[in-house]
Amino acid sequence: MRRITLTSFALALGVVLAWAKPAPAQQAPPVWKQGQPAEQANSALAPVPLPPTPTPAKDIHVDAMTLPPGFTISVWADGLHNARQMARGSRGTLFVGSRVAGNVYAVVDRGGRREVKVIAKGLAQPSGVAFKDGALYVAEIPRLLKYENIEANLDSPPDPKVVYEFPKDAHHNWRFLLWGPDGKLYFNMGAPCNICMPPDTHANISRVNPDGTGFEYYARGVRNSTGADFHPVTRELYFVSHGRDWMGDDIPHDTLHHAPRPGLHFGYPYCHQGDIVDPEFGRGRSCSEFAPPLLKLGPHVAPIGTRFYTGDLFPPQYRNRLFIAQKGSWNRSEKIGYRVMTVELKAGQPPQYEVFADGFQQGGKVLGRPTHIEWTPDGSMLLSDDYNGAIYHITYKR
Amino acid sequence: MSVAIVAALLAATVAARPQAADLDAGRLKAERCASCHGAGGNATIAGTPSLAGQSAWFTHWALIKFRDGRRKDPRMSPFAAGLSDADIADLAAYYATLAPRPRPQSVDAAKAAAGQRLAVSHHCTSCHRPDLSGQDQVPRLAGQDLEYLLRQLHAYRAGTAGDLEGLMTMAARPLSHADIENLAHYMAGLTPVP
Repeated sequence: MRRITLTSFALALGVVLAWAKPAPAQQAPPVWKQGQPAEQANSALAPVPLPPTPTPAKDIHVDAMTLPPGFTISVWADGLHNARQMARGSRGTLFVGSRVAGNVYAVVDRGGRREVKVIAKGLAQPSGVAFKDGALYVAEIPRLLKYENIEANLDSPPDPKVVYEFPKDAHHNWRFLLWGPDGKLYFNMGAPCNICMPPDTHANISRVNPDGTGFEYYARGVRNSTGADFHPVTRELYFVSHGRDWMGDDIPHDTLHHAPRPGLHFGYPYCHQGDIVDPEFGRGRSCSEFAPPLLKLGPHVAPIGTRFYTGDLFPPQYRNRLFIAQKGSWNRSEKIGYRVMTVELKAGQPPQYEVFADGFQQGGKVLGRPTHIEWTPDGSMLLSDDYNGAIYHITYKR
Repeated sequence: MSVAIVAALLAATVAARPQAADLDAGRLKAERCASCHGAGGNATIAGTPSLAGQSAWFTHWALIKFRDGRRKDPRMSPFAAGLSDADIADLAAYYATLAPRPRPQSVDAAKAAAGQRLAVSHHCTSCHRPDLSGQDQVPRLAGQDLEYLLRQLHAYRAGTAGDLEGLMTMAARPLSHADIENLAHYMAGLTPVP
């Protein structure tokens, strides 16, 4: 009753105000607020703001991260503002992309001391990096760039070649790069919104030849994939995707998907987490029309770095297990994520989902965001953190 | 093309070690800024923004953008080009501690009233807060210089303001010249709160 009275009063007041002065037409909200229902208009939830500067190693609470017995974590390199995807050069250089910092870094290991060089700056969210045949590939929002013979020229990087031009929409189009077993580069083209009917060019994972020819869509109906890998044995694609926002704290889940062949549709914007039809775009549609997720990862956890373990250093049960870094939630009353999970995939069995590294948010305070994963030649893990601008080393000793 | 220019200008730089900001160092370093931005960070020259009480994250990001060329200004760009990471951190932290004061400027009441409604319908208040005092990397607009606000809103609309994630470019694109005028008068006329 009270609610009705208030609503009636608000309506009456609205009519009076509208009569007194014409109100300007309501404009589109900022992208992160798009799709927010009216009853949540006063929500205080907003994306976690990124510090303008990297955190010095001594101020990073790396000891807050809990790990299974025998594993240790340390800061491997700091001063890489907004560090995102990593790729290893054939001479051992670690290349690191970033988003809003606009930088691409090269980390050179000089006998235990890491030197961080900025090899490109002022790019448009150059989050994706990949390396092959001496060349560094960088995916910024509008372009795929190629820096040839990069490791011989770290102090005077060559002008990049523009290999491919992507659609220019920024939102959800900071990219990862991944080499496929077919020699093609795979990347994400996210939905340019929280929830909308995306144009045909978006909400997918696609691939292109390294020379920019042969573009193809590979997986469709993918809202915002930020990480993927090919299974070391089956060579089939597994990828993660972020679910939509503003449906509540506990739905929908972010998801892990299996795309054994091209052309599958994974549901966006009609169906979320395999079993929730979208309240607006799902009308008249059924989740059974789409390829279901392999695993629900948790609501708003923000899965990102996604890599199968193929090394020999970690205990044998980790071999071929999928590691998923989760940079953590913003669209949820209580924070969740800020951890690294593993998924055991065995034919004919449900996936086993376990915590590997946890503790980068405590009582709602963000201590760091585990972002991307790269393996070292000895089989240990490098984990980037785009909040602290650092790279951690996680290793194992019996 | 811009990549070629950047690459040509850029002999790879070694990233400096990150370190905590030093307020005393910031105070000394800000002496060079005072001739335009005013003593205590409250500017009086039309077209020059006040920095007093801006969040450290905002000032820090602004200086990074000037330094790496994403944001350009004939006076600020050469100044920022010479700043180290430590200079930027110290200046940003120092200006955040200062109290903002109203600027010597008058605004048009009718335009400000129209601007107040636009600030809500265009969702300015959802990031800049209802009193336009700003937060984190989002600047305080309340009581800022009128001419500066007009210039920045036009630059965002034109896509030349060095937007971080594209949010302001999207927000400014639907604004008419009259909308920008009205919004700027509203923002400039508010009492600056820290």
